Amino acid sequence: MSGVLVFIEQVGDEVAAISRELLGQGQALAAALGGPLSAVVIGAQAGTVAAKVVALGATTVYTVTDPALAVYTTDGYVAAAQAAVAAAQPALVLAGASFQARDFGAALAADLDAGLAVDVTDLQVAGGAITAISPSHGGNVVNTYSFTPGTLVVALVRKQSFAEAADGASGGTVTALALPATTIRTQVTSVAPKSGVVNLTDAAIIISGGRGLGDKDNYYKLIPAVAEALGGAYGASRAVVDAGWVPYEHQVGQTGKTVSPKLYIAAGISGAIQHLAGMRTSRNIVAINKDPDAPIFRVATLGLVGDVNDVLPLLTAELKRRLGR
Amino acid sequence: MHILVCLKQVPRDNSVKINPDLSVNADGIEKIMNLFDEYAIEEGLVWNEQHGGKLTILSLGTDTWVEQIRRALAMGATDSLLLSDPAFANLDALAAAKVVAAAVKKLGDVDMILTGRNSTDDESGAFAPALARALGWPQVTYVGKVLEVDPAGKRVSAERHLETMVETVSAALPAVLSVIKDINSPRYPSLLKIKRVTKIEPPVWNAADLGVTGLTSASTVTKRVPPPPRPKGALIDGPDTATKVKKLVDTLLESQII
Ligand SMILES: Cc1cc2nc3c(=O)[nH]c(=O)nc-3n(C[C@H](O)[C@H](O)[C@H](O)COP(=O)(O)OP(=O)(O)OC[C@H]3O[C@@H](n4cnc5c(N)ncnc54)[C@H](O)[C@@H]3O)c2cc1C
Ligand SMILES: Nc1ncnc2c1ncn2[C@@H]1O[C@H](COP(=O)(O)O)[C@@H](O)[C@H]1O
Repeated sequence: MSGVLVFIEQVGDEVAAISRELLGQGQALAAALGGPLSAVVIGAQAGTVAAKVVALGATTVYTVTDPALAVYTTDGYVAAAQAAVAAAQPALVLAGASFQARDFGAALAADLDAGLAVDVTDLQVAGGAITAISPSHGGNVVNTYSFTPGTLVVALVRKQSFAEAADGASGGTVTALALPATTIRTQVTSVAPKSGVVNLTDAAIIISGGRGLGDKDNYYKLIPAVAEALGGAYGASRAVVDAGWVPYEHQVGQTGKTVSPKLYIAAGISGAIQHLAGMRTSRNIVAINKDPDAPIFRVATLGLVGDVNDVLPLLTAELKRRLGR
Repeated sequence: MHILVCLKQVPRDNSVKINPDLSVNADGIEKIMNLFDEYAIEEGLVWNEQHGGKLTILSLGTDTWVEQIRRALAMGATDSLLLSDPAFANLDALAAAKVVAAAVKKLGDVDMILTGRNSTDDESGAFAPALARALGWPQVTYVGKVLEVDPAGKRVSAERHLETMVETVSAALPAVLSVIKDINSPRYPSLLKIKRVTKIEPPVWNAADLGVTGLTSASTVTKRVPPPPRPKGALIDGPDTATKVKKLVDTLLESQII
């Protein structure tokens, strides 16, 4: 067992950003583990994508193409990944931490009796031993995990943890593997993109509104306008999701989404610990609240004490004027 | 039909401390059932009402969790089971799932298992897939809608609500499903029902009852610290709101945040 195997996620026939990050960091980790950086591409488009993965620095790219892998299923993808693990014999498997990657990564780790770390933000190798850092308890606890020596480690890595690999490498090879005989026990009858939904976890800028917006109409009058002026997405506190103002997909926090954008604006949100759990790792936080003692100001990079009904229309206008959107 | 719902107790919020032995200290924080498990219980109740049979609540925990199990019984679950043994303390999700799988095998007649999307303290979401694999059952995770449960035809179909898409999936029963918050509105148990369950003690199975020995976790926590503090922020002031907003946008532009 040596080296690193990266599970490649695809967006159409492109390599997903998270996979480029994993290839970037995988290079150094593989070297520290004394083995190669390999990757596995599963699915119908595997051939086209594999060439791009070689350019991103993988020395061996395994492809598993089979009609049974046209859509994601746990059974199909785990079987395909197992074939790649058997071929590459890695010490570490890296995948993302999206819902689909957790579905697959945890199942793979269970099948292989591997050590599993989920939502990893950093990985280290010292003397051949791997450690993984991952937060829990809404970011209030940062855990370092060690693993039984000799066991494979599966790490599911949070987005934007590492720098992306640079394009332009050559010399890697592509090896096709057959899908091992497997029974796929789930049937996918449709896959529909969610219409009009911005993926909050991907957004670089988010403005969220809370109960301070007063009512649903006011939320929709004030919040999306700021999001649009910034080219960002909009989120919400649980209070307003539960009140039925905004769909659950927009909820940020302990029981909603965990986001880590470059800029997070909290408007009319008090900053309850369960809300902070979902956004406290944002790079910059702007708080707008009429109560100067609101707990949200304690995590804010920039705080503005004021009434959202005054501040947000002015903010939209000023942003439009300055950014020209 | 026999539906089993996995229930975990968690602190209401995560303002926890870290003990010198690296365990997480949630003393003084109210304990609740994991929010997503409340949705799993409600979904179990809906299908139990339709198909009859048993709805069992299962926890791998300690006797301090019994209050949550009772709440689930007050909501309408018919049976409960607590897996408890000093050997079960500090197991990782994969090892915990093996213990639960042993209990499910011992029960012998379970058709469908429901869990929450993730626990709000450990937040891994690894338990449901690990349980499905330990049992050799199919899994359908992140379910936002169960379309059909057919115990006679041994099939379940459901929508998986992922970040940017919705998948419609059907699976052979028995199967493991994990549910998200959007799936239903959990019922509140009436005071009368809460009173009726106060004396119920769930049966307890330990490692010997399950015949599990030599439990180990491949992962262990070797360091646990609070997060680094956020850099100190600044309050934007000015004579009026317009000035403050202009200053805010200036700062965001100067710092290249936007
Ligand atoms: C198990 C559990 C899980 C939870 N999960 C989540 C979660 O995932 N996400 C989440 O957000 N919450 C979650 N919560 C709820 C959380 O505890 C808070 O209740 C919630 O975040 C409060 O939402 P809010 O800030 O919008 O409302 P409030 O706490 O009511 O705050 C409203 C704020 O708006 C300000 N305000 C009022 N009017 C104005 C105005 N005109 N202009 C400017 N400011 C104004 C007020 O000063 C106040 O600070 C959870 C709770 C529990 C128990
Ligand atoms: N110790 C446990 N006992 C019972 N159910 C559990 C336990 N741990 C996790 N679960 C279930 O698995 C789900 C996901 O938890 P996790 O994988 O820890 O995020 C929870 O919502 C519970 O339904």
